[in-house]
Amino acid sequence: MDRALRRKLLNQAFVVVCTGAALIALAALALIMFSLFTKGMGGVDVMLFTADTPAPDSPGGLRNAIVGSIMMCSVAMLIAVVIGVLAGTWLAEIGGSSPYGHVVRFLNDVLLSAPSILIGLFVYWWVVVPMGGFSGWAGAIALGILATPIVTRTTEDILNLQPNALREAGMALGASQWVTVKSIIWRAAGAGMLTGGLLGFARISGETAPLLFTALNNQFLSFDMSKPFASLPGAIYPFAMSPYDTWNTLAWAGALLITLAVLGVNILGRWLARDKDHK
Amino acid sequence: MSDTETEFKSVITPPPGDQIVLETRKLNFFYGTHQSLFDVSIPVKRNGITALIGPSGCGKSTLLRTMNRMYDLYPGQRAEGEILIDGENIVGSKVDVTALRAKVGMVFQKPTPFPMSIYDNVAFGVKLYHKKSKSEMDEVVETSLRRAALWDEVKDKLNKSGLSLSGGQQQRLCVARGIAVQPEILLLDEPASALDPVSTAKLEDTLEELKRDITIIIVTHNLQQAARLSDYTGFMYLGKLIEFGPTETLFVNPKCEKTSDYIGGRFG
Repeated sequence: MDRALRRKLLNQAFVVVCTGAALIALAALALIMFSLFTKGMGGVDVMLFTADTPAPDSPGGLRNAIVGSIMMCSVAMLIAVVIGVLAGTWLAEIGGSSPYGHVVRFLNDVLLSAPSILIGLFVYWWVVVPMGGFSGWAGAIALGILATPIVTRTTEDILNLQPNALREAGMALGASQWVTVKSIIWRAAGAGMLTGGLLGFARISGETAPLLFTALNNQFLSFDMSKPFASLPGAIYPFAMSPYDTWNTLAWAGALLITLAVLGVNILGRWLARDKDHK
Repeated sequence: MSDTETEFKSVITPPPGDQIVLETRKLNFFYGTHQSLFDVSIPVKRNGITALIGPSGCGKSTLLRTMNRMYDLYPGQRAEGEILIDGENIVGSKVDVTALRAKVGMVFQKPTPFPMSIYDNVAFGVKLYHKKSKSEMDEVVETSLRRAALWDEVKDKLNKSGLSLSGGQQQRLCVARGIAVQPEILLLDEPASALDPVSTAKLEDTLEELKRDITIIIVTHNLQQAARLSDYTGFMYLGKLIEFGPTETLFVNPKCEKTSDYIGGRFG
């Protein structure tokens, strides 16, 4: 076979394989979305948002779980953003090249890939046991620990992308390092840092395992985070496993809600970031 | 004869003593263990434009960055010797670097507008030092933008992002930001290398205006720019100041062979 023909064939084979792989991935995603919508939409009605999780075979909704998830995820993201942004900033701007910095970065990467059930056990041992019971706070802390390394990592990466000339320009005007970072670098990196937060949120919004050991669950609407706390994943897990049709339907509806929330927050984030760039 | 064997003899023709605002004396600079400036003694005339020329890597940017202690940001970089500004040595740990940088501004090779409005870009430095009322700040912003010859182009869009301007406008915005804090000295590190000829000409006009009350030191690769813009020129080579003197003398009648080789285009 002559060389040119062989190269052409190889190239075409490569394109076909890549396209095929992309199609398979997309098909899987489409199938998931399709089943989510067909099975989940059936459970979406007013009651989903106004009634709490029901007893088997009786009507109900997911109000307590929705409220619980929103509250725990909010507290978790607060923890993750404050610690993650500061830690990422430290790594990128201050101590990242010191030996201690390397250790911190390595540990953060380990935490990034730690199984979430492990985080749940850790929080169970260090928070739930001393506090004397499952609680919404413990759940929020577990989720916060899961999201923190993601925020830390993306913050560091995004800050490292900012041109050094921008830092020098701030300092050349006599600004301190803190003012330069706060008023110039963070602002320049805002869109990217927001993406980091969104990734963190996407990661924790569907986490079930760490909540089993920490927040447990709650059948009723509660705003007291020192008590066991409901969450969407915490409701989906038992409901999806159950033999009751009403529970199954609610589980699908809950899964759809989480997916839509992540999707919505992502779109919102992209829209906010885009608006800034084009002002 | 190779360069390493040659002991370059510096020929320095300083401006009159009472006109010198900044002067380095036997300045040596190190990147870690690598020495990149050797006994540089350069006298800079007040309210004029001093150009630094020389081939890449000759140390001209390094020299410029010692004058506002920019090297402080990088551990391992250090200067030895003296840099006198208004008679005060700024090398050493006792110097208030913030106050120094208010006195010695800097504009970089690539435009570095901050990610904020045009107005806030100019006000940024001022806010670090003074608390001003809105009307006072408006005045500072307008004056600075006028002096940087940018006012007419941006006066209707002061709230737009500085990033929305063209490259040349961004660079003049950086000049406006630098002069808003009323520095005595403005350092420019190849400020026109990323600009088109029209923008370059505008920037040069701006500098001509500014030199009436600000001392300007400019590093440039563009010999014509140095020749038409500056009052004094320093030629640097291999970390040494080879020749320094009035621009006309240096370009028309250079005293050192290296200088005439460089401006004649025989190397560099």
